[in-house]
Amino acid sequence: MKNRTFILVLSFIIVWSIGPLCWQLYTSFSTPDALINPTIEFTKRWTFDNYKLVLSANPPFWRYLVNSLIVGIISTLITLFIAIPASYSLSKANKIISRISNYYLFGAALFPYVLLFLALLEFARRYNLGNNLLALCIPYSALSMPLAILILTSSFRQIPIEIEEAARIEGLNLIQRLRLILVPLMLPSISSTAILIFLFSWNEYPISLTWISNENLLTLPVAISRIAGSSVYSIPYGAFAAATVVGSIPLLLIVLIFQKQIVSGLMQGAVKG
Amino acid sequence: MINLLLLPAFTLILIVFIIPIIRYGWISLHSFSLATNLSLIPNQFANWDRLLNDSRFWVDIYQTTRFAFVSVFLEIILAMIIALTLNKHFNNRGIIRTISLLPWALPTTIMALGWRWIFNAPYGPIEQLIRILGLAELNILSNPNFTWIATVIADVWKTTPFIAIILLAGLQTIPKDLYEAFKLEGGTYFDSFKEITLPLLKPYISLSIIFRLAQAFGVFDLIQVITSGGPAGSTESIALYAYLNAMRFLDFGYSSTIMVASFILLILLILVINLSIYSGKKILSTIKL
Amino acid sequence: MKIIKIILSFLFLSSFVELDSKLKQNRTKKEAVEVNILMPAPFEESTRNLIKKFNNKNDKKIFVRVIRGPMETETVSDLAISNLILNSNQYDAILVDVTWLPKYATAGWLYPLDSLIDKKKWDSLMLGAKKGNSYNKAIYRWPFVADIGLLYWRTDLIKSPPKTPDELIKISKKLQSTNKVKYGYVWQGRQYEGLSCVFLEIIRGFGGNWIDNENNVLLNTTESLEASTWLTSLIKNGISPESVTNFGENESLQIFKSGDSAFMRNWPYAWAELQKDDSKVKGNVAITTMVAKKGITPTATLGSWGFSIIKTSANKEETFKVIEYLTKRTSQIELFKKYGYTPIDRSIYSNKILNKQFPILKFIKSGLEIAYPRPETHVYAQISNVLQRNLSSIITMQKSPKEGMYDAQSDTLNILDSVGGF
Repeated sequence: MKNRTFILVLSFIIVWSIGPLCWQLYTSFSTPDALINPTIEFTKRWTFDNYKLVLSANPPFWRYLVNSLIVGIISTLITLFIAIPASYSLSKANKIISRISNYYLFGAALFPYVLLFLALLEFARRYNLGNNLLALCIPYSALSMPLAILILTSSFRQIPIEIEEAARIEGLNLIQRLRLILVPLMLPSISSTAILIFLFSWNEYPISLTWISNENLLTLPVAISRIAGSSVYSIPYGAFAAATVVGSIPLLLIVLIFQKQIVSGLMQGAVKG
Repeated sequence: MINLLLLPAFTLILIVFIIPIIRYGWISLHSFSLATNLSLIPNQFANWDRLLNDSRFWVDIYQTTRFAFVSVFLEIILAMIIALTLNKHFNNRGIIRTISLLPWALPTTIMALGWRWIFNAPYGPIEQLIRILGLAELNILSNPNFTWIATVIADVWKTTPFIAIILLAGLQTIPKDLYEAFKLEGGTYFDSFKEITLPLLKPYISLSIIFRLAQAFGVFDLIQVITSGGPAGSTESIALYAYLNAMRFLDFGYSSTIMVASFILLILLILVINLSIYSGKKILSTIKL
Repeated sequence: MKIIKIILSFLFLSSFVELDSKLKQNRTKKEAVEVNILMPAPFEESTRNLIKKFNNKNDKKIFVRVIRGPMETETVSDLAISNLILNSNQYDAILVDVTWLPKYATAGWLYPLDSLIDKKKWDSLMLGAKKGNSYNKAIYRWPFVADIGLLYWRTDLIKSPPKTPDELIKISKKLQSTNKVKYGYVWQGRQYEGLSCVFLEIIRGFGGNWIDNENNVLLNTTESLEASTWLTSLIKNGISPESVTNFGENESLQIFKSGDSAFMRNWPYAWAELQKDDSKVKGNVAITTMVAKKGITPTATLGSWGFSIIKTSANKEETFKVIEYLTKRTSQIELFKKYGYTPIDRSIYSNKILNKQFPILKFIKSGLEIAYPRPETHVYAQISNVLQRNLSSIITMQKSPKEGMYDAQSDTLNILDSVGGF
C-alpha cells in the first residue's frame, strides 16, 4: 500500500510521543551548566548527579514506586470488581433504569474532579483516612468508576445475547457466566479500562498531596514534587527529569506487559466475534 | 434483583460526587471566609451577585472554553491518526503502541514542569531550534496572545493517547470483512474511512469529545505548573480561579459559588454540543453508545 | 492467574513496607516527645544536618521529625492550609513565608509566641528580621532566614553600580551597544509573587508606595505610573529580554550566571550560586541595593521565612526549643556559609572574621536596613494576585500603564470592599 505515507505517519507518532521525553532524558544527564550552555566542553557536559540525587534520597525512590503501584493496582481491582457486575446489570436493565443511570454516570464522569478536592478533604478528616494508602484507593476508585462502567456497559452490550443464552442453557449460574464466558470475551475492553484506571491513580496529584503527608507513604507524583535543590527559588530541572525517567521505567514495563494482554485479548475477541 | 449489582457503584459515586456538589451548593449561599472567621454565615445570594459582576470569572470562562475546544479538536484528529495506524499489522507494533501510550502514563504535574522547561526562553529546545533556523524569538510563555497555545500543546500531548485508546477499541469492533467487501467493490482507503470507519466510530468519537471537553474544562494542574495563569491572566482557567479562591484566598464561599456555576455552565455546554451533534434529534443520546 | 499471583505478592510486600514505617515511628515515640515541623523541601535539605545533631543530643528528650513539603512555596502553603483546615494536628510548627503570616494568624491557626520569647534575644535580631513576624500586636513567628531583594552587578563590566533608574538604563544601553553583554537587566516578570516584590521596590524607588501606613491604596498615583512605565520601557528598549515577562528567580539567575546580563534583581541565595565553579561570572559579581530616584532611599522587599507554632500543638515548649536551636547563632552561621542563608542575628554582621571571609555580609546588612515588608493584611494573597495580573498585563503590553494601574487600584478597592477592609 502507501508504504511511504505510513512510515511518515509512524515516525511522526514516534517523534511526537517521545520527543519531549527524549528532551527529559537529555536533561536528566546534563549538568546545570550544560543546560544553559550547549557548547560546553565534553567533560563538563554529562553527569549522573541527577540520578544520584534521586536514587540516594531517603526513603529510597523505589518505595514511592511501590506505593504508587499498590495504590494503582488496588484502585484498579476495586473499580473493576464493582464496575463489572454493575455494567453487566446495566446492560440488561430496562430502558428507564438505564436511562437514569446513564445520566447519573455521565454527569459524574464529566465533573472536573479537581473541584472535588475540598469536599474530599472534609471527608478524609471526618473518617480519619489521612496517611493510608488503602484509604486513598476509595476516592480513586470512585473517581474512575463512572467512566469504567460506561465503557464496560457498552462492551457488554456488544456481546451477542445468544452466547449468554447458550451458557444459561448449559446450566451456568450468573457468577459462572460472568467469570467463564463474559469476562474472557471482554478482556480487551477490561484491560484498556484497567489501564485507564491504573494510570489515573498513578498520576493523581491534588488528592494525594493533601491526604498523605508521611514520607514513607507518598505516591510518585507527590514525591517527585519534593525533590529540591538548596533554594526555593531554583527549579532542579535535571533532578525532576531524572525522577521522571526512573519513574517511567516501571510504567514502560507495565504497559509493555499489558500490551500483550490487550493484543491477545483482541485476537480472541476477533475470532469468537 | 439483578439491578442490585448497581448499588455499590452508585453509592460510591454518590459519596464522592453528588454529596460534594450539594455541599458546594449549600456553601455558595453563605459567607465562608477569613472575614467570617471561617464559619458559615448565610448571605442569601451575595456570592452569586458578586459572580455575575465579576469580569474575571467571565474572562476565565471564555479562556477555559477556548482551551477546551481547541485542545479536544486537535486531540481527536491526532488520536484518529494514531488509532488508525496502530490498528494496522506491522512489525514491532507492540513497541509503537507502548510508545504512543507513554505520554498518558506520566504524571501531569511532573511533565508540566518538563514542558515549562521545553518552552523556556532562551534555553529550551524550541527556542534553540528557532535560533538555529534563524527565526525571531518566539517567547511563547511570555506573550499573552500565544501562551494559551503552549498549554494546549502540553494538554494535547498528554491526553491524545487516551482518546486513541477509545478509538482503537472502537476500531477493533469493526469487522475486517466490511473493508474487504468495500475493497472488492473498488473503494479507496479514504472512501472506506468515510463510509465505514467514521460512521461506525461515531459513538466513540462523540463519547471522547464530550468526555474530554468536560475534563479540559476542569484543567488545573497543567496550567498551574506551566504558567500559574499568566501572563496577564491569559491562561487562567476556571478551576484555577476556584482553587485560588479556596486555598490561597481562603474564601470558600466564593470558591464554592464558582465551582457550582462552572458546573452549571458545563452542563449547558454539553447540552448544546449534543444538540449540534445530533441536530436536536436526540438529546444526550451518546450516553446510550 | 499469573497476574493475580504477582499482585498478591505485591500486596504482601507492601504490608511489610507499611509495617516497617510504623515500627520506626513507634520506636522513636516511646521515650521522646516528638516535634513535627513542616518545611518546604529545600529547607528540609539544608537543615538536615542540624536536625541530626539536635536529635542526637538533648538527652534524647525531644525528637524532631521534619516533614518535607513540596518544593514550590505556594504548594507548601496549599498543603499546610489543607492540613490546618482539617485541624488534623499533624504539625507542631510550620516554616512560614512572610506573606502567609497575617492570613494564618487571622484564621486562628497560630500560637502567639510572646510568652515564650526571651526579650533579650528578640532585641539581638537585625531590624529587618524583626519585621513581618507580628500581626495585630502579637508575635506569631520566630525568624529563620531573612530575605531581601538585591541588585546584582558585574564588576568586570563597570566600576560602580547604577544608583537611579535612569542610570541603570543608560549603563545597560552603553554595555549592550558595545556588545559587551546581551542584556542589560534581568528580573522577575512572571505573573506570580516575585513580580509584586519587584514592583514594591520600584514603586518605592520612585517615591510612591503600594499601600501606605494609613492603609491607603496608592496604585493610581503618578509614582506608580512612573514605576510601571519604567518596567515596560526596560522591555521596549531591549534592556530586558522579552521573555522576562515569564521569568522567575531561577530564569533570571540562569541568564545572569551564563554572563548574558549586566544586572540582575534577586535574593541573597543567588550569591552562593554565582560563586560556584559552573558560574561564568564567578568572582565578577557584586551586590548593591535596588535603584531609586535621586534623593529617595532605595527599598529592598523583605521576604523571609520563620517558624510558627500551631495552636493545636501539644508540645509548644519543646517545639520552641527546637526552633531556638535551629535559629541560634551558630546554626545561622553554618547555614550562611553552606547555603548563603541570610543571618538574622545582629552580632554576626559585626563579626570581623566573617566579614573578611564573606564581603557580601556588608551589603546584605545595608539591604536589611532598608528592608520593607509587603502589605501586612490577611487579604494579601488577593491584592497581590490582582496587582500581579495587572502588572503582567502592563509589561506584556496588553494594557497601558495608566489603564493597568487604574484597574489594579479599583480591583484592590473592590476586594477590600467585599471583605470589609484590612
